[in-house]
Amino acid sequence: MTDSKQATGVAPRSFNWKPLVTNQSSILVFVIFVLAAVFTVYSGGKFWDIAVFNNILTDWGLVVLLAVGQTFVVISGGIDLSVGSTVSLSGVVAGVVMVNWMHLDLSVSNEAAIAPLLLALLICVLTGIAVGLVNAFLVNTVNIVPFIATLATLGGAAGLAIIWSGGMPLQGPNFYGLVNPIVLGGVSLSPFSFIVLVSTITVLIAGLFLHRARFGLYTYAIGSNAFAAKAAGINVKRHLTWVYAVSGALSGLAGMYAYTRLGSGSPSSGAGFELQAIAAVVIGGTSLMGGSGKMVGTLLGAFLLYEVQSGLLMVGMDPNWKQVIVAFMIAGAVGVQGFNFSQRRK
Amino acid sequence: MTGELIYEVKNVSKRYGSVVALDGASLKLHAGEVIGLVGDNGAGKSTLVKVLSGAHKPDGGQIFLDGVERVWESPRGALEAGVETLYQDSSLAAHLTVSENVFLGREKFKSGFLGWLGFLDRKTMIREAQEDLEKVGIAFPSANRPVSQLSGGQRQAVAIGRAVSWASKVIILDEPTNHLGARQAGEVLQVIRAAKAKGLGVIFISHTLPHVLQVTDRIVVLRLGRIVKDTPTSEYNVDTLLGTITGAIQTIKVEGD
Amino acid sequence: MKRSVRSLAVLGAVAAVALTISGCASSTTATPTATTEKQLTIAFVMGAESDPFFQAMKVGAEEEAAAQNVKLVWQGDPSHYDVATEVPIVESVIASKPDGLVLIPTDPDGLQASSDKAVAAGIVVANVDTHTTDTSKAVIFITGDNADGGAKAADAIAAKIGYKDGESYDVVVGLTSATATTNVGRLDGFKAQVAAKYPGIKIQDVAYSASNPQTANSNVSNWLTKYPNLKGIFAIDGTNASGAAAALQAKNLVGKIALVGYDAYPANVALIKAGVFTALIAQDPAEEARQAIKAIVNKIRNNEDPAAHDVVIPNVTLDANTSAADLAKYTYVAN
Repeated sequence: MTDSKQATGVAPRSFNWKPLVTNQSSILVFVIFVLAAVFTVYSGGKFWDIAVFNNILTDWGLVVLLAVGQTFVVISGGIDLSVGSTVSLSGVVAGVVMVNWMHLDLSVSNEAAIAPLLLALLICVLTGIAVGLVNAFLVNTVNIVPFIATLATLGGAAGLAIIWSGGMPLQGPNFYGLVNPIVLGGVSLSPFSFIVLVSTITVLIAGLFLHRARFGLYTYAIGSNAFAAKAAGINVKRHLTWVYAVSGALSGLAGMYAYTRLGSGSPSSGAGFELQAIAAVVIGGTSLMGGSGKMVGTLLGAFLLYEVQSGLLMVGMDPNWKQVIVAFMIAGAVGVQGFNFSQRRK
Repeated sequence: MTGELIYEVKNVSKRYGSVVALDGASLKLHAGEVIGLVGDNGAGKSTLVKVLSGAHKPDGGQIFLDGVERVWESPRGALEAGVETLYQDSSLAAHLTVSENVFLGREKFKSGFLGWLGFLDRKTMIREAQEDLEKVGIAFPSANRPVSQLSGGQRQAVAIGRAVSWASKVIILDEPTNHLGARQAGEVLQVIRAAKAKGLGVIFISHTLPHVLQVTDRIVVLRLGRIVKDTPTSEYNVDTLLGTITGAIQTIKVEGD
Repeated sequence: MKRSVRSLAVLGAVAAVALTISGCASSTTATPTATTEKQLTIAFVMGAESDPFFQAMKVGAEEEAAAQNVKLVWQGDPSHYDVATEVPIVESVIASKPDGLVLIPTDPDGLQASSDKAVAAGIVVANVDTHTTDTSKAVIFITGDNADGGAKAADAIAAKIGYKDGESYDVVVGLTSATATTNVGRLDGFKAQVAAKYPGIKIQDVAYSASNPQTANSNVSNWLTKYPNLKGIFAIDGTNASGAAAALQAKNLVGKIALVGYDAYPANVALIKAGVFTALIAQDPAEEARQAIKAIVNKIRNNEDPAAHDVVIPNVTLDANTSAADLAKYTYVAN
């Protein structure tokens, strides 16, 4: 039996600092805490407040759903630019059904809204899946590269959202309590609101499927070497269809999240969120080349993104600087990725 | 030494656009037989490999496994029938671990509901991958390391080990000794001999003519998509083999028997 | 007015010049006798055609066109408020030789050449909402008044919070972007009115939502945490208004914080009654369209210039006291 220690050449007892320091997730956790301290100091203590954390998580909850889907797509070697438009479109479709067809308006509120909201949820997810299937068709059958294919659906979905909504939000039933911290038996579960809880559970389940199930394994395999995956008998096209459908479904779920927050299906609810989702994925350590990445990274990356945006607002920084800072964050994240990669090559 | 006919292609052709890659090639492989498939660049070896492995469907011709005509819709069909293929350079997914690569496409699941959802029994696969590779003569530190952390030789070893441990009928090896040092190449040849001894049919493609002469029973020469010679290895030495490949030595197309 | 855009190319040059139009502009289509009226074709060209502001404008345009025996051509890129997409559209409209052109230029300089070309081709040109740098050759320029809108918003907030001199009140302003001229105009009007009449009102912060109501919602949520004594929010466009309204409803602060929004989306108008909005500043894009068509028709059929070259249509403040009839009249309606 070969001695594993000899083969690797690394003395097992001394502590190897390198993976901890270059591990993207460790760095992220560290940065998150450091920034929290910095923001707290510079905001005169205002940042360190459960209400602030609540706001961060509410923003995080929307984008992390998109980022989870994006994680699968990017690991498979593709990209999905249509997620933001899908958020808009799904909210609009739900709005059209509830407001225009069923004539339910904002007077249906609180618990009475739960039934229509469940219907809306179904509609949103189905709309998202439809968009995902269009993406899969363009990539698999028409053979367009994912960047261009999903750019096309981005435009198409955004356009449909505008046409079907008349350019204005469709205000329907809503239960605003879902957006606020859950209170169970008099105890507040702040900062977790119902919608944030849904997002958190979604991330956890998605992470399990990515890292422990065959669905995730095939996603990595295809992103790493699509030919080898095919040669091993994997139906690459069918798997990619599932991947884009999942991304679409999660975008639809995010569309429902957005609807609940706003009380209406707005044609611009998702505008720009595809970039936030991709930023979260990249900051989380997933390589845009495919084949690698971790769900926890996406979770932390999305959190960092909104910790920064919330923190900058709390310390009163010029909002235009926020753009610059987010851009630097993404550049830094890609830089660490590149460093890790070159280390492994040696 | 060689047993019954297990794998046969008759008159297969394949074109890519206007390029004719294979033009009526026929080949017979018997159990326990090692065939060397040689030819110059562009002769059609890789295409023939892909037709044999199910990666590409031929435009014309037939494929027989154990005497039964088969049509491979995808590599999956050939794999399930017991035909394993090692492709040039690209058999493994570098980001995945050794055991994930060994079991790629043939994963083991957890039992019960979790297994139905697709959750993998990674512990078992790691253990078995380790055992399988060792059985084939490949010593492995840990089957849980990403392939990207292995050297070129080790990766090749994993790819070959995978092919050999899964193969039940035929192994096709496309340039398995590329990028390998002399000692490691020697180990690959050992693996080929072991497979032969097990009763598998082996198709061995290589540019390294001495290796071909060492382990094969028969040599099939491909030129411009056609098989121009199919004779026992004993009829060749390095020079005559080279000459046949390049065309310096004239050949008459002969059916191997 | 809300702009749902991908990119804005705006150089804010404002120069209102009042001149008479030379008579040669109407040579091709005017019939000297008005007894048998020929149907005229008038084209509207804008950026971001799906913007509810323009949708509402279309309703007014269609009414007036029907009344005046005018065939209406309605063109614009569906979602881009952009010189690059507007110019080719204007050019092809000019080539189709309409009798009149109502231009809503996305950029004052970028559309000048096309506008002059239209005039030279004998097309009567009007500018609505925004204008080219030199409007001397246009028959009329009609716009809403952003500064006035901002000032009215300040009045509405002051009234709601029961403004008293000597006290201090925190307010915040949500905009779509730092450069959209409509946003800037409204903010300036707001600030000027506050400085003049309500010095106790302190604008604590300003944030941008990039036309996304989710971002607006997030900004307001953060402000509610940061400024526990917040008294008023000025949401400078439709998406900010939507986002802010939802945030107040979610946190049960309806009626406790003065919320003034812009643009009469039906959804937001409904929230006035519910007490969520203190007031909505509505423009009257339908009226702008009607007046533009009237001026062009008058010029072509009667060879008359409008009484004033520059017309400002006042904004309307919609609040709890507005009659149901007026609410219906000024709500932006889509087709």
